This record gives sequence, C-alpha cells and structure tokens, in this order.
Amino acid sequence: MEAPPVTMMPVTGGTVNMMEYLLQGSVLDHSLESLIHRLRGLCDNMEPETFLDHEMVFLLKGQQASPFVLRARRSMDRAGAPWHLRYLGQPEMGDKNRHALVRNCVDIATSENLTDFLMEMGFRMDHEFVAKGHLFRKGIMKIMVYKIFRILVPGNTDSTEALSLSYLVELSVVAPGGQDMVSDDMRNFAEQLKPLVHLEKIDPKRLM
Amino acid sequence: MQREEKQLEASLDALLNQVADLKNSLGSFIYKLENEYDRLTWPSVLDSFALLSGQLNTLNKVLKHEKTPLFRNQVIIPLVLSPDRDEDLMRQTEGRVPVFSHEVVPDHLRTKPDPEVEEQEKQLTTDAARIGADVAQKQIQSLNKMCSNLLEKISKEERESESGGLRPNKQTFNPADTNALVAAVAFGKGLSNWRPSGSSGPGQPGQPGTGTILAGASGLQQVQMAGAPSQQQPMLSGVQMAQASQPGKMPSGIKTNIKSASMHPYQR
Repeated sequence: MEAPPVTMMPVTGGTVNMMEYLLQGSVLDHSLESLIHRLRGLCDNMEPETFLDHEMVFLLKGQQASPFVLRARRSMDRAGAPWHLRYLGQPEMGDKNRHALVRNCVDIATSENLTDFLMEMGFRMDHEFVAKGHLFRKGIMKIMVYKIFRILVPGNTDSTEALSLSYLVELSVVAPGGQDMVSDDMRNFAEQLKPLVHLEKIDPKRLM
Repeated sequence: MQREEKQLEASLDALLNQVADLKNSLGSFIYKLENEYDRLTWPSVLDSFALLSGQLNTLNKVLKHEKTPLFRNQVIIPLVLSPDRDEDLMRQTEGRVPVFSHEVVPDHLRTKPDPEVEEQEKQLTTDAARIGADVAQKQIQSLNKMCSNLLEKISKEERESESGGLRPNKQTFNPADTNALVAAVAFGKGLSNWRPSGSSGPGQPGQPGTGTILAGASGLQQVQMAGAPSQQQPMLSGVQMAQASQPGKMPSGIKTNIKSASMHPYQR
C-alpha cells in the first residue's frame, strides 16, 4: 500500500516563518529617470521589468478589536498570471538598531476566484488601488518603484488617478527571521541611492 | 606574565595588519601618481589622501588601545648578525631585506632620529626657547586668528555656492509624499475615503463631527476646501486630505465601513 499523496495529509508541520524586511522612501516624478538609471546600474542585469497591479485589501472584523488583514493582488498586464494573496503581520518592535522594518509575511499564489472565496469567508474589501511601476532585483533584494493610483469607482480599474506626484520606492527582502545581516545589506544598498531617495524604516502606526 | 605576552602578541598582529594595509595603499597611490599622472584628477588624489589619513588614524587608535602594552618598555636586541642571505627573513619581508647584517640593523632597529634630524630639532628648540614666553604666545594667537578667519571664509563660500546651485536640484523627494504613500499602502489612507461612508458616518458618535465629515465627504467638498485649480482637483484634494487630516479621524472612516457590513451570518 503506497503512501497517500501529499495533498491528502493534514498540514501539521510548520513552514519556516518568513519575515519581510522593508525600507521605504519616495521620489518625485521629475527625478524618476535618474533613479531608474541608477537602479539599472546597481541591480542585477536584466530587462527592465514593469508591472501594473491591482491590489485589494480585505478585512475580517472579528471579536477582537483589530481586524485581520489580507492583501489580494492581481496583475493587470500579464494575462494568465496567478493572483497573489499576502498576509503581513505587525512590525516587530524589537531592536532599535535594526535598520529595516521587519514583519511576518505569508505569501501564496491563488486562482482567480480569490475575491469570491474571501467574500464567502466573511472578508470585506476595505480599499483598493492600482500600482504601476518598475521592478528591480539585486540578489534576494527586491526594489519596486511604483505610483499608486486611486480607483474612483469601486471595481472599475480604468478610472484611476494618481494619489500624489511621487513614486513610492520600496526595498524588500523575504527571508527567515532573525537575520540581521539582511538588514545591514539593505542599509548598505540604501546608502547607494542617497541623495536621490532616502530609504528608511517608516512605522505605519506613526502615520495613523 | 602569560597574559601580557598574549596581549603583546595580539597587539603586534593588529599593528602588523594595519601597517600592511597602509603600505598597500601607499604603494597604490605611488603607482597611480607615477603611471596615470596625465589622467589624474584632484578628487582622486584627495580620495587617496583620505584613505591614507584614515588608515593612519586607525593605526593610532590601535596603538592607543587600552589592551596594547607599552611598546616603549620593550627592547629589541639583535642577537646574531651574519653577512649570509637569510631565506626566512627574505620571505617575511617580501624580498626587501635579504641579509641581516651590520648595514641593515642600524636603519631598521633605530629608535633615535637621524643625526641630521636630531641637529635640526635641537636648533628649533633653542630658537623657540630664545624668543621668550609672551612673544611666543602672541605668535600663537595670531596664527589661530588667521586660521579661523580662513576657515570662516571657506565655509561661507561653500554655503553660498551650495544654496545657490544645489537647492533647485536638491529636491528629489518629498518627505510628506513619502508619508502619504506609505500610509496609503499600509492602511489605505486617502484611498478608501472616496467611498461614501458618510451613509453611516454622520450617525456615528465618538469622533468629532468634522472628522466624519472629512472622512465621508464627497470629492467636491474636498475641492472647495483645498481650493486647487480645476484640472488637478481630485489629485490635490486627495493629497491634502491625507496630509491635512489629523490622526484619529481616518480610522473612523474605516470602522464605519466595517460596522455597516458586519451583519454577516458567519460572524455570529
């Protein structure tokens, strides 16, 4: 009798707890070109990759005070690409010396009926936006430079307008927790982007 | 006793490393000067100088380190002098000192300065003693004043050129925009408030009335508040809303949304 296929067995083992290390900054529209050139020089040599994504953030209001947040993202320019579901935990408030924002991160690819599934589970969409920009990679570091567009009519991704005159620049790494070397490497890379962009760890709670 | 020996050895190793680094950078600087002198730029020369100065600094730090024993108390005595080639010594000095003989030792193990240098130094000290204390003091003060004048002039020049030239180009990013964008991505500040949460908004207690009006107002109202030109009305108003709204008013918008939608069977 052969062992049942893996999919039938209950998932009891834990996966490695992946953390997202994040540094954010912004660049004004007129300086975007210089930033892109610098990134093309600094990052791995590959074709410049642009993306146009539509992200929806779902909240599940439970008995606890803070709602559970899930982010669903789909690509608007790549047909056939799977949807991407992501959970981001609260930022780890540990070490003041750590140079990057660290939070728990769970990523998974899903099929297209993700929104229906989430609605059935009881999630409600809180907000959505369209992100359009460029993607660069350097080793395990991912650098995204994108503009956020507000969606004027809910559900209609054609009527959008830019949220501000700047592009958001994000330097992120998804790695197992506890690796301080990752944040050191990120800071060294961020140094090379000064004075065009100041990448720093920004605590979202401060901006509430 | 043993601890001191270990300390001595460790500090000697550190010193050796530092000196080797210094030698390497000096060597590369000399090479640069000799071979690339027609293409050399002043900033590149400055870089090499800065590197050397940094290394000298670290050397000083290593010497001043509390764990370094006083090298002054150690004496090096040559035990055997021979005119034969010493392969071991060649290897250790990278081929520069082939023979440990009586020509090499005075130069390498010297602790006092050269006789000529010693003469000059003695003359300088007698000169300094000759002119008298207050004349010397006056000279010191005038030197300090000249140096500070010069420094002031340089820094003023630098400041003026910076403010004139760099400022128009300097703004490549706007911190307020950074905050607005990060807030938008993190919890939808400025994104979800387009939706008329005003349906349940005005009825909600807790937040001050202006808060919910801000959160639930339609685009037109925002535009009148911002007073922006017609083309950029929605965009500017969005940014104004994100920046002008105080903390504590935005969450009310989100909460009212959830409350109105929370009548779901699975919730119970």
